[in-house]
Amino acid sequence: MSEKETTHFGYQQVPVDEKVGRVRQVFDSVASRYDLMNDLMSLGVHRIWKRQTVALAGVRRGQQVLDLASGTGDLAERFAGIVGADGAVVMSDINAAMLTQGRDRLIDKGRVGNLHFALANAEQLPFASGSFDCVTIGFGLRNVTHKERALTEMQRVLRPGGRALILEFSHPTTRALSRVYDLYSFSVLPNLGRLIAKDAESYQYLAESIRMHPDQETLRAMMEEAGFERCDYFNLSGGIVAIHRGYKL
Amino acid sequence: MSPDSDLDEGVRRDQEGGAPGFGIPAAVLAAAEAALNRYIALDPEGALGFEPIYGRIIAIEVEGIGARITLIPGPDRLQIFGAYDATPDCLIRGTPLGLARMAAARRKESELGSGSVEIEGDTAIAQDLGKALGGLDVDWEEQLARLLGDPVAHQLGEGVRAAVQWGRRTTGTLGADLKEYLEEEGRLLPSRYELDAFLADVDTLRDDVERLEARVGRLARAADRPSAAHTPKTKGRGKKSGKDAARHGGEDAGPGGA
Repeated sequence: MSEKETTHFGYQQVPVDEKVGRVRQVFDSVASRYDLMNDLMSLGVHRIWKRQTVALAGVRRGQQVLDLASGTGDLAERFAGIVGADGAVVMSDINAAMLTQGRDRLIDKGRVGNLHFALANAEQLPFASGSFDCVTIGFGLRNVTHKERALTEMQRVLRPGGRALILEFSHPTTRALSRVYDLYSFSVLPNLGRLIAKDAESYQYLAESIRMHPDQETLRAMMEEAGFERCDYFNLSGGIVAIHRGYKL
Repeated sequence: MSPDSDLDEGVRRDQEGGAPGFGIPAAVLAAAEAALNRYIALDPEGALGFEPIYGRIIAIEVEGIGARITLIPGPDRLQIFGAYDATPDCLIRGTPLGLARMAAARRKESELGSGSVEIEGDTAIAQDLGKALGGLDVDWEEQLARLLGDPVAHQLGEGVRAAVQWGRRTTGTLGADLKEYLEEEGRLLPSRYELDAFLADVDTLRDDVERLEARVGRLARAADRPSAAHTPKTKGRGKKSGKDAARHGGEDAGPGGA
């Protein structure tokens, strides 16, 4: 009976300690074309979802922001423009290839000064408790092996009054949309991945991992479990994506 | 995935709770943000005008339709949101017409004074925003030069300037010719002098009528008071001009002036 604990990796079950490595492989493979793929996959709507997240975060000048699973840094870039020289934005990702891509992209655009970079696992954040006014994670939580640990860490590093925002694929609210979405995810998406990023498997994983991610209400309950208060969520594009928000009070 | 970019119930609910009800579609705001930033980028020096208000949250609320947009200037770009979930540093609220008038007005204070636009919070931020937006002056010739090279752009610029001057001159000449035709040739409109004379006549006539009215009034009152009719003292001295009669009006008792 020495069965190893397993977790899901898309629709497959893999040993827990393998998931991190496998997710890394996926993102190492897509890093260089991540932005282009995002635009194609979401028909450009991911930019609007990110805008909504920034509007709901309500960050002010001089605040400290942590952006987890920052990827190519779309959220971090917007936050950096708002917090200004008195504030700071830490861009963090577990994947070195993605973080390097993001850092290079922002430096090339001249976004320097209040942006910092941290290669870190969201389950074990290398920051003191109560260091940030806002913590965000955009399209990253579903790739984390132990989501509840990541949520607890996000709550820990927040200052009292701080808020966490989770932008993530979720579950469509109507059956009709759900069907169209399934068709798109399992037929169109992997083919797009094959054509653009030359990697159908990674995009198959993306589609599967979205289905395995907890739905809106479940994630809200998980946030409350992790110690967040006044938790709520906002469905975007018919629930294909949801923004969850919780406060540390 | 659906390209539906509108906010769904969740965010709408939030807007109803916090900010006013009408939400401008996020896609429209995103497009406006991109367009405005492209415009600002054309005048890098003018863009520095936003520096004092980097990171300030400026909300503009349109009364009547209840739409709100939030501007946050930054060193990289001016971000535009619908409802932004933080108390604005400066809230500019007004009717669509009032806001448009203020945007166009040279002296923005007069619109504030008229009450059609209100500012809450730090008014200096609103002033700085107005100054920065008004201070943008794009050198189109320079922009063209990047595409076509200096000589071509300069020639085009000269051409455009000549065309503008020609247009201005032609409009002026055309206006003068038309005026002359209507006044002198066609006799359809009076000339300036005729008009002035006519207006002066109207003034005189109006004064005359007022004097006559006063005099009639005085006579009528005199007729109502027969006892006052034989006051010999006023006789003989009562030869007053119509003007004086009008000035004294009803107070001047007795029929002397009649």
